[in-house]
Amino acid sequence: MKHDALVAVARAVFEASGGTPIDPDYVLPADIPLELSGEAVRARLCLFADHRGAEMVMRPDLTLPVAQREAARREAGEGGAKTYTYAARAFRLPVAPDDQLEFTQVGLERFGYDAGPEADAELFALIHRAVEACGVQPSGVIMGDLAIFPAFIDALGLPAVTGDLLKRAFRQEGGVRAVLDAAARPLEADIAAVLEADDPAAALSGLLSARNIPLAGGRSLPEIIEGLQARKAAIEAGGLSQVARAALLALREIDCPLTDAASALTALVKTHGLEGAGPAIAALGARADAVLARVPAAMKTARFRTGFGRRFTYYDGFVFEILAPGLALTQPVAAGGRYDGLISGLSNRRASATGVGGVVRPDRMVRVRRDVS
Amino acid sequence: MSRITIAIPSKGRLKEQTEDWLASIGHTVRQIGGERGYTAEIEGLDAEVRLLSASEIAHGLIEGSLHLGVTGEDLLHDQSPEGLGDFEVLKRLGFGGADVVVAVPQAWFDVDTMADLEAAGAAFRKAHHRRLRVATKYLRITRRYFAQKSVGEYRLVESAGATEAAPATGTADVIVDITTTGATLRANGLKVLDDGVILQSQASLTRSVRAPWSEEANAIVELLMRQPRAGTKRPI
Repeated sequence: MKHDALVAVARAVFEASGGTPIDPDYVLPADIPLELSGEAVRARLCLFADHRGAEMVMRPDLTLPVAQREAARREAGEGGAKTYTYAARAFRLPVAPDDQLEFTQVGLERFGYDAGPEADAELFALIHRAVEACGVQPSGVIMGDLAIFPAFIDALGLPAVTGDLLKRAFRQEGGVRAVLDAAARPLEADIAAVLEADDPAAALSGLLSARNIPLAGGRSLPEIIEGLQARKAAIEAGGLSQVARAALLALREIDCPLTDAASALTALVKTHGLEGAGPAIAALGARADAVLARVPAAMKTARFRTGFGRRFTYYDGFVFEILAPGLALTQPVAAGGRYDGLISGLSNRRASATGVGGVVRPDRMVRVRRDVS
Repeated sequence: MSRITIAIPSKGRLKEQTEDWLASIGHTVRQIGGERGYTAEIEGLDAEVRLLSASEIAHGLIEGSLHLGVTGEDLLHDQSPEGLGDFEVLKRLGFGGADVVVAVPQAWFDVDTMADLEAAGAAFRKAHHRRLRVATKYLRITRRYFAQKSVGEYRLVESAGATEAAPATGTADVIVDITTTGATLRANGLKVLDDGVILQSQASLTRSVRAPWSEEANAIVELLMRQPRAGTKRPI
């Protein structure tokens, strides 16, 4: 099959599942991906300035503009569960020499349905079916769960400052290691004294004028005091305990067949006494079972890795990629996952809805088929 | 075989210092068309010589339209998509030195390191529903360094000039800029983070990786790599 034939086949699979076809905006304000995902994604974005000089972006995927439409629909007071499907162009600066800047994604996005193992497995099975319908036998599947690391952090019972820091660090390459290695630095005596004052903001203001320092930038005095208090709390906590350190390093190392993931994580829970992570692990196990029941073939090759999907910026739970023979690990033929916080983030918390979706990449599947035949 | 193309800065201190250095190794520069001309001859080198802005030189070296050039490492690092590997610094020339640094308001007593900045950025986003702004003309250098330091909680604002004033005027909260003595930063109420020196840049003789190289071209590189002769002065 040629590229366009693959598009038609995948599209038919998704439309038959009940998805409403949608062709959302090509051009978005650059604020949408950059505020949501941060500057790390800028290197991949096709950016330009509009006639007023505002920074705009060609849609880097279809999930964002579809979710943006859905967020607007819900902000307008409409509700209910919705499934959208599309076969549309997306634009990304290539990472691999043989990737195209402009490519077609055929995909499906579901909003407002019950979230759970069955919903995740159903979505995965549908994407997997679309890949197979295109004549591609996957060579591997990677499944991650971005809720696992935060669940372990919560179970460790760390001070909120440290816990939040580690959860953010998890999403950055090398971030957790950097946090574990960092030593708390003491505060200068005059500055520490500000926190002991009856009115810390007034004391800080006094110290700034005594030193002739202007208040520049967008952070207020109370925000600076909050930062100082967080640093003081980190100093007083005296860094991470050996137990926490050992547990996080062991968690980071987990890379195993998906069928072993729940037991490997449960072993960690037992070793380090982190029962609080139990429910998240149970959810992962239930999802693995549900996927196994629907797509037995996928389970032979499916693997789980703790850090997998950390760079899927707005995803927050189940994440997966489907690999194919002859293509690099960085060039999956399909990918997707759960993003229950996306509608809330796009609407500035004025609306919320669960979300799960996935896409297939006909431009890559064409190359797989050439390699096979 | 076409001649090799060398570019040198077209104006200012950088131009003078480059000419001084070339003269010191026996290659006097003669501008064609007087002070306003944009081509030149370099004594003893069989090459096409162009006078360009430092930024155009960095661009030409990376893209491969120039073989050799003298420009600032800050510009080379910032304009290269791949980072190191897009160009080869042959010789650091000891002038045009400046540090590319991350600076925050001095009033931020809670922020001394990149890790503190990450925490401040996260708290800011929670409170304001937007990211902390970092003003700079060095978009790529900034993005790479922040990623290397695992700092994700920020937004870039491209700055065309007077970057150091951005926090005071409210267009940004943090800056990434060049500094030599730090005096301008201090005058604007800013401080460099403890681990905020991204790059110690100076003017460098740089070779393009993408330009086509021949034996004749390599011979010219050898001539330029010679040490200054003792007692040479800038010719009148």
